[in-house]
Amino acid sequence: MATNQYRPLSRGPVRRIGSTVLIYAVLIFGAVIILTPFLLSFMTGLKSPVQFSNTSSLSLPSPITWANFQELFGPDHNFISPIAVTVQMTVVILVVQLGCSILAAYAFARLSFPGRDIIFWAYLATMMIPAVTTIVPLYGMFTAVGLRNTFWALVLPTLFGSPYAIFLLREYFRGVPDDLEAAARIDGCGTLRVLWYVVIPYSRPIIATLTVITVVSHWNNFLWPRVITSGPDWAVLTVATADLQSQYNGNWTLVMAATTLALLPLIVIYLIFQRQIVNSISIGGFK
Amino acid sequence: MKNARGRTFRRAAVGYGLLAPSMIGIGLFLIVPVLVAIAVSFDSWNIISPPKWLGPQNYISVLTDPDVWHSFLVTAQYTLLVIPTQTILGLGLAVLLSKRLPGTPVFRVIFALPWICAPLTLGIVWKWVFAPTGGLLNAIIGTRVEWLTDFSLALPAVSFVSVWTQTGYVALFYLAGLSGVPKDIQDAARVDGAGEIGVFWRITMPLLRPTTFFVLATSIISSFQVFDTVYAMTGGGPGAPGRTDVIAHRIYSLAFEQLDLGKASALSVILMIGLIVLTVLQQVYFRRRITYDVAN
Repeated sequence: MATNQYRPLSRGPVRRIGSTVLIYAVLIFGAVIILTPFLLSFMTGLKSPVQFSNTSSLSLPSPITWANFQELFGPDHNFISPIAVTVQMTVVILVVQLGCSILAAYAFARLSFPGRDIIFWAYLATMMIPAVTTIVPLYGMFTAVGLRNTFWALVLPTLFGSPYAIFLLREYFRGVPDDLEAAARIDGCGTLRVLWYVVIPYSRPIIATLTVITVVSHWNNFLWPRVITSGPDWAVLTVATADLQSQYNGNWTLVMAATTLALLPLIVIYLIFQRQIVNSISIGGFK
Repeated sequence: MKNARGRTFRRAAVGYGLLAPSMIGIGLFLIVPVLVAIAVSFDSWNIISPPKWLGPQNYISVLTDPDVWHSFLVTAQYTLLVIPTQTILGLGLAVLLSKRLPGTPVFRVIFALPWICAPLTLGIVWKWVFAPTGGLLNAIIGTRVEWLTDFSLALPAVSFVSVWTQTGYVALFYLAGLSGVPKDIQDAARVDGAGEIGVFWRITMPLLRPTTFFVLATSIISSFQVFDTVYAMTGGGPGAPGRTDVIAHRIYSLAFEQLDLGKASALSVILMIGLIVLTVLQQVYFRRRITYDVAN
C-alpha cells in the first residue's frame, strides 16, 4: 500500500484498534436490528399457539412444532396453491419478458432504422408512470374482456418486455465487440442466431443480474395481484399471506409460519445470487 | 440506389420485427392505460355501469377534498421522516463498510436482506413486532403499547419499517459511489494537513454529490408511491381520515372500496404528473451536474 506512507503519524496503533472495535460494534448492532425480526418471526412460526401465549416472544420454541405449517398446507388454507401460482407466474414472466426484452434491446443497441430513437425514448418515458396510475384502467380493461381472476391477468401486463430491462440490456449490448458479430454474420448467421450464439453468451453477467431482479420483483408483487384476483384460485403468496393475516388477526404463530414460507425461498435465492443482487443495487436496480 | 433502399427497408423490417412484442406490451399495458386513466378521470364510473362523461368535476372534487389534502400531508410527513434518516444512516454504514475490514461482505449481505423481501410480507412481520399482545417490541422493552393504533405512533412506526428496509440499499449504493472517489485526491488533502473529518466533508462528500442526488431523487419518487407496507401494517389507519393514509392507499380505497374510479383516476393522474415533473427536474439537474463535474 503505497498510500500508507502519507498517513499522519498521529494515527497510532492504539487509536486504530479502538476505531476498529467501534466500527465492528456499529456494524454488529446494525446486523442485529436487521436480523432480529426475521429470526424471531421464524421462531414464532415453530411455536404452538399455547406456547406462544404462555411464553415471551423472545423465548426459543421448545418443543419445536410443525403444526402451523401442517395447518397451512392442510385443506383449510391449502398454501400449496399460492406457492404454485407464484412460482408459475414468476417463471412465465421471467422467460417471456426476458426474451422479448433481449429482442428489443438488440434492435435498439445494434441496428439502425428510422424511428428507433423516438421509440427508445418513448420506452424510457414509460418508466416514469407510477404503478397506481395504471392499476385502475388495467382493472377496467381486464374486467371488460373477461380476464379478471385468471392466470393471464397475473402475467400479461408485464409479459412482453420491461422498459427497465430493455434499457439495461441495451447499454450492455452496445459493448459487444463488432468483430464478434461480423464474424458470425460472415459465417452466415441471421439476426436471431447472432443473438443466440454471440450476444447472449457475451452478455451473461447482465442477464444473470436481470434474472434475479425479475424474479425478486415479481415474487414480491402485491398491488396488481391483489386487485385483479379474488378468492383462493389465483391468489399469489403475498395476497394469500395478507388474507390469512386479516382473517386470523392475532393468530400470530400461524401467520408467522406463512410469512416464513413466503420469505424463505427468496432468502435462499438471495444467498445463492448475492453477487448479482449487490451488483444490481449499485446500478440502481429494484426500483 | 434501388439496392440501398432495399437494404434500408430490410433493416427496418428486422428492427420492427424485433421490437414488435415489446411495442405491443408497452403500448397496450402502459401507454393505453395512461390514456384510459386520463379519459376516465373526466368520467363518473363505478365499474358496474358504463362510464359517463362528467367533465372536470373529478378534479374539482379531488382538489377540494380535505381527505385528499390530508393524504398529501401524510405522504409528505412520511417522506420527511424516512428520506433524511435512511440517507444519513446509509451513508454512515457505507463509510464503515468501505474500510474493508474482514467480514465486510457478510455485513453487506445482511444489510441488503430486507430490500429483496416483499414489502407486504415484511409489513406483516412488523405488524407482529408492533403487536400489543404477544408482539416482539413490547416483549423486549416490557411495555404494552398499542404502536400501530396509536394516533401519534403509527406513522413513525411505518416510517421506521421503511428506513429499516431501505437503509441497506442506500448504503450499498453509497458504497459503490465511494469506490469511485479517487484515493489520490483524498491523500493529497491529507498531505496538506487535512484531518479525516475535513477530508470527508470537503473532498469525499462533494465527489459523492451525484450519488447523493440520485439516491435522494429515486427514494423521494418511490416514497410518494408507498403502498404495500402501509396496507400490511395499518391499512391506512388509525382514525378517519387515517393517520397513515398515504396517496397510493387513498387511490386504492377510492377505486376499490368506494368504487369511485373516476375520482381515483383523477388523483392518480395528478400524482403521475407530479412524479413526472420531479423526474424531469432530476434529469435536467443531474445532466448539468455531470457536465459541470467533468468540466472541472
